[in-house]
Amino acid sequence: MARVLCVAAVQDGRIKRSSLEVLTHFRQLCDRSGGAVEAVVLDPQPNQFVDTLQKYGASRIFLVAGDAFGQHLNEPVVRALESVFRQSGADAIAFASTESAKDVLGALSVRLGAAVLSDVADVDVRDGDWVATRPVMAAKRHARTKALTTPVIVSVRAGSYVASEAPAEADVVEVSFSDDEQARRPEIREVLVALGGTVDLSEATVVVAAGRGVKDNEGRQLIEELAEVFKAPIGATRAVVESGMYPATSQIGQTGKVVSPDLYFAIGISGAIQHVAGMVNSRVIVAINKDPDAPIFQYCTYGLVGDLYKILPSLTEELRAAVAG
Amino acid sequence: MRFCVCIKQVPDVAAPVHTGRMVLNAYDASAVEEAIVLKEKHGGTVDLVLVGPSGATETIRKALAMGADDAYHIIAEDHDKLDSFAIASMLAGFFEGREYDVIACGKQAQDTDAGLTGPMLAEMKGLPYASNAVGLDIEGDRLVVTRQGDSGQEILVLSPPCLVTCSNDMNDPRIPNLRGIMAAKKKTIESLPMDQVGGNVSPRSQTIDVFDPPGREPGVMLDGEPNEMAGTLVNKLANEAKVI
Amino acid sequence: MEERFDCIVVGGGIAGLSAAMVLARANKRFLLIERGEFCGAKNVSGGVLWGSDLERLVPGYSTDADAGFERFVGHRRLTFLDDQSSFSLDFKSGHFHETPFSGVIVLRARFDEWLATKVQEAIDASSVADESFLATNVLVDRVIQEDGRVTGIQAGEEQFFADCVILAEGVNNLLTRQVGLQPDYVPADHVAVGVKEVIGLDRTVVEERFQLDGLAGMTNEFVGYATAGVEGGGFLYTNRESVSIGLVLGMKDLREKRVKPYDILNDFKSHPAVADTLRGGEVLEYSAHVVSTGDMGSMPKQLYGDGVLVVGEAGHLLMNSGRAIQGMDYAMRSGILAAETVVEAAADVDFSSSSLRRYEQALEASFVMKDLKGFQDAVHLLHDPIMYEKMPAVLCDFGRSFFTVESEPTEKAIKSFRKAAKKHLTTWELVRLSAKAAKSL
Ligand SMILES: Cc1cc2nc3c(=O)[nH]c(=O)nc-3n(C[C@H](O)[C@H](O)[C@H](O)COP(=O)(O)OP(=O)(O)OC[C@H]3O[C@@H](n4cnc5c(N)ncnc54)[C@H](O)[C@@H]3O)c2cc1C
Ligand SMILES: Cc1cc2nc3c(=O)[nH]c(=O)nc-3n(C[C@H](O)[C@H](O)[C@H](O)COP(=O)(O)OP(=O)(O)OC[C@H]3O[C@@H](n4cnc5c(N)ncnc54)[C@H](O)[C@@H]3O)c2cc1C
Ligand SMILES: Nc1ncnc2c1ncn2[C@@H]1O[C@H](COP(=O)(O)O)[C@@H](O)[C@H]1O
Repeated sequence: MARVLCVAAVQDGRIKRSSLEVLTHFRQLCDRSGGAVEAVVLDPQPNQFVDTLQKYGASRIFLVAGDAFGQHLNEPVVRALESVFRQSGADAIAFASTESAKDVLGALSVRLGAAVLSDVADVDVRDGDWVATRPVMAAKRHARTKALTTPVIVSVRAGSYVASEAPAEADVVEVSFSDDEQARRPEIREVLVALGGTVDLSEATVVVAAGRGVKDNEGRQLIEELAEVFKAPIGATRAVVESGMYPATSQIGQTGKVVSPDLYFAIGISGAIQHVAGMVNSRVIVAINKDPDAPIFQYCTYGLVGDLYKILPSLTEELRAAVAG
Repeated sequence: MRFCVCIKQVPDVAAPVHTGRMVLNAYDASAVEEAIVLKEKHGGTVDLVLVGPSGATETIRKALAMGADDAYHIIAEDHDKLDSFAIASMLAGFFEGREYDVIACGKQAQDTDAGLTGPMLAEMKGLPYASNAVGLDIEGDRLVVTRQGDSGQEILVLSPPCLVTCSNDMNDPRIPNLRGIMAAKKKTIESLPMDQVGGNVSPRSQTIDVFDPPGREPGVMLDGEPNEMAGTLVNKLANEAKVI
Repeated sequence: MEERFDCIVVGGGIAGLSAAMVLARANKRFLLIERGEFCGAKNVSGGVLWGSDLERLVPGYSTDADAGFERFVGHRRLTFLDDQSSFSLDFKSGHFHETPFSGVIVLRARFDEWLATKVQEAIDASSVADESFLATNVLVDRVIQEDGRVTGIQAGEEQFFADCVILAEGVNNLLTRQVGLQPDYVPADHVAVGVKEVIGLDRTVVEERFQLDGLAGMTNEFVGYATAGVEGGGFLYTNRESVSIGLVLGMKDLREKRVKPYDILNDFKSHPAVADTLRGGEVLEYSAHVVSTGDMGSMPKQLYGDGVLVVGEAGHLLMNSGRAIQGMDYAMRSGILAAETVVEAAADVDFSSSSLRRYEQALEASFVMKDLKGFQDAVHLLHDPIMYEKMPAVLCDFGRSFFTVESEPTEKAIKSFRKAAKKHLTTWELVRLSAKAAKSL
């Protein structure tokens, strides 16, 4: 095993859980076979994350401060990561598979001459060989893919591993970053942040997801009440995002986010393969659909055939009582 | 503006695996659609390039029938062995000496979901890029991209030449009409042998095998009146699945 | 700009593609329009294409490993079922292995698409390669008529014109009705529902389980318990890596008995004689489609008009005699004959109905109409409850006593048969059945 540099993604002032999962996984791999796991944070004020990263066992922490990192923009991120990587002498960079990571993997790999294993569900290193399992064909199949060159860049789907602490003393290295005004880069005109729950879908332990069966404000209300019981974020299918009922950030599936909570409610969702691709790894799936032949029932743990407008009121009430009691 | 859309032929993921039907990658179809809409609105041209086996011409024709202008087919018979890096390298070779304002890619290929080719190509060509676009517009000589990020949308302004990768959430690609289909047949598809675009690049990753994921345990279907089902479910969630 | 073709073919099923092949070879400028995303996308069929017309359309297909068929018919079986037993007539013969094959088992999604590529090759080789088109994913909304003559078609906002239109739209023949060749109302007892599942199995499992050699395949028709007392029959055909299993059920009887085809299919699949052959398989596809019964009462009054020809199942050219369903071979032959008529009419520059009548004459002279007429009694016999309810019971009872060896004096076969017949049939029914059967088969 070698040295792996984990990129710690920051959202809403904290390190994303999915990044900590990645850090944990590589820490454990390194513990078993020798090697070291390091972390890097890009942020206007990266120092605030040192404690967390130490807690999860990073042996060296690179801090890159820069106002440019207040918002996501690919060019400065690629440039900063390239320089940290060269300075660290690591053999690999690992990301949590977020939209921001997807934005930079390809470009960074060209800069570093690296092989990329993107959006993997599992990754292992044996005798120096990096082999990942990747869901393909909208998660209908899994592929085992091997990196043929080094260094290696890998991005891991949220929920693939469980984050656990293993406090360590880390060397903290501050890396200077100067904004290059000459760089050819997109210019940010505006950032529209979706108003939604504060819980990130890919980190939630319970997700309540709505599909086209949720037709109106009354349906939305029922979904919200159910979500409220668990303080769960609300996910959605492409169909209801398209209709404007839910923001695009709540879309779950091949195009949207991948989630794997302990409990997933699929409500008024048909179970199209592209949606299933994003939720099939949830531990327990409850499906409510009035069509007994809806494909979602092939994936669910518990299936309720019926009208969501009739089922949800009593279900929410029972759940509220059970959770409270 | 002069657009060139990189299109890929992929197996139809929605069809049963055994049929092996090949289709135009849905994300690329959205990129083609968006480029054609901009062409209709602001003028310009939309070309296509595909790396793939000779059998992929039908897929190119389909995109031409939507209203694209010229098409290039880089012939790669065992295309399956190529990873995003090898494809991006060939595309970079292809774009050498060709002038486009915007190169558009899909945000990912529907079959591999790699999502790498676009940003790799941008870096190889030294172009500014934006990924996961859900909206495109032209303002003067600049391209305005609405990008779907982790927690919201970012509106970015790019100066051509530049590259953008497109989400299928951007639009519903048109279904070609008869005139489009007929016109497409008369358009030429220029085929280029792989080595003409530097096709000897070695891939950096390799798929060893592909298998069915472990299936889920068959679920339990609940019957009865809404309140009965609710009661049974809560009981099972608490005592059987132990998630609440 | 007015686009004009020699011919427009509506529908890219077997009938339409067969017509297109002939037109392409004759260097005609034509437009074939299919509403499915690709040819075959919308087509359901149990799957045996009988006869040797395919060899005529695509010479040498039988030696092409990539040809669109699954297996050739190498083994045939007709099975009578009661609730637990089966009695089969089984026929296997070396002559089945000779080419051209007497029948090939097909999965339409694959076969039609393959046939379309062959048509495309024929277009590319023709002298008007750039002026003939196979267009998919386009729905023809209506036929354009001027002064009672068909002159073209409309799809969405677009109109296209031709000397002649061939309607190959299949059993749900809205355009044939629009031009007035078929009354809007087809009685429910003239249509049936076909349901089918494709069950995936490993290739080696298919070949071992059905004892198939190479690309040989088996066809099995079923009469009796398969349909749970509903008029109709069942079928099972072996594909390369799957089997097709299904039922064809009388629409009227289904309605009257208030049963769902899907439920009957599930019962059929769990019959001991069938379940064994499907063990371990995974359902890959389920589909349902209306199918004609072969009752000539449902046919259009005429298969041609001014500037228009009707082919395949759009003309209700189908026969279900119990031994086999024949719709694809009829579709193929009628498509060929219609296109040949168009080529002749073009030479005469006459597309009036009196010129296009030649098509119906050619069809009359062919096996299509000869069989359809000759086997009408068989078709009616199949609709007789004696046939799908009682006959299987008789045969299975007979089988039980004939094949069961007990420590008792053994009964002579004829005696067992009489006993079984007597138990299930009145003398009158027996007489009626034998008379009908003798006449019809
Ligand atoms: C390349 C590609 C990528 C895609 N990516 C995604 C993705 O990331 N995420 C995604 O979700 N989709 C995605 N899709 C779209 C996907 O194919 C489906 O169209 C979509 O998931 C359907 O959403 P739905 O289940 O809400 O709607 P529908 O399929 O319309 O299903 C609605 C369901 O609600 C049920 N229903 C209706 N009324 C009631 C009621 N009163 N009570 C109970 N049930 C009711 C109906 O029976 C039906 O099953 C993608 C498609 C493509 C081609
Ligand atoms: C379950 C089942 C089992 C069967 N088994 C057998 C068998 O074993 N052997 C056999 O010989 N036959 C069998 N048949 C019958 C056989 O499938 C049909 O007779 C045959 O498909 C008829 O061919 P066709 O080309 O006339 O029509 P179709 O195959 O129905 O093709 C018509 C085509 O026209 C298209 N179309 C229709 N309207 C329009 C429009 N307005 N615009 C554009 N396109 C249009 C349709 O999409 C379709 O592709 C079976 C049928 C069923 C349902
Ligand atoms: N063989 C190819 N030919 C042309 N473009 C391709 C090819 N493969 C990938 N692309 C482009 O790159 C995008 C992302 O592909 P991928 O990196 O494989 O997920 C696709 O949506 C296409 O725009």
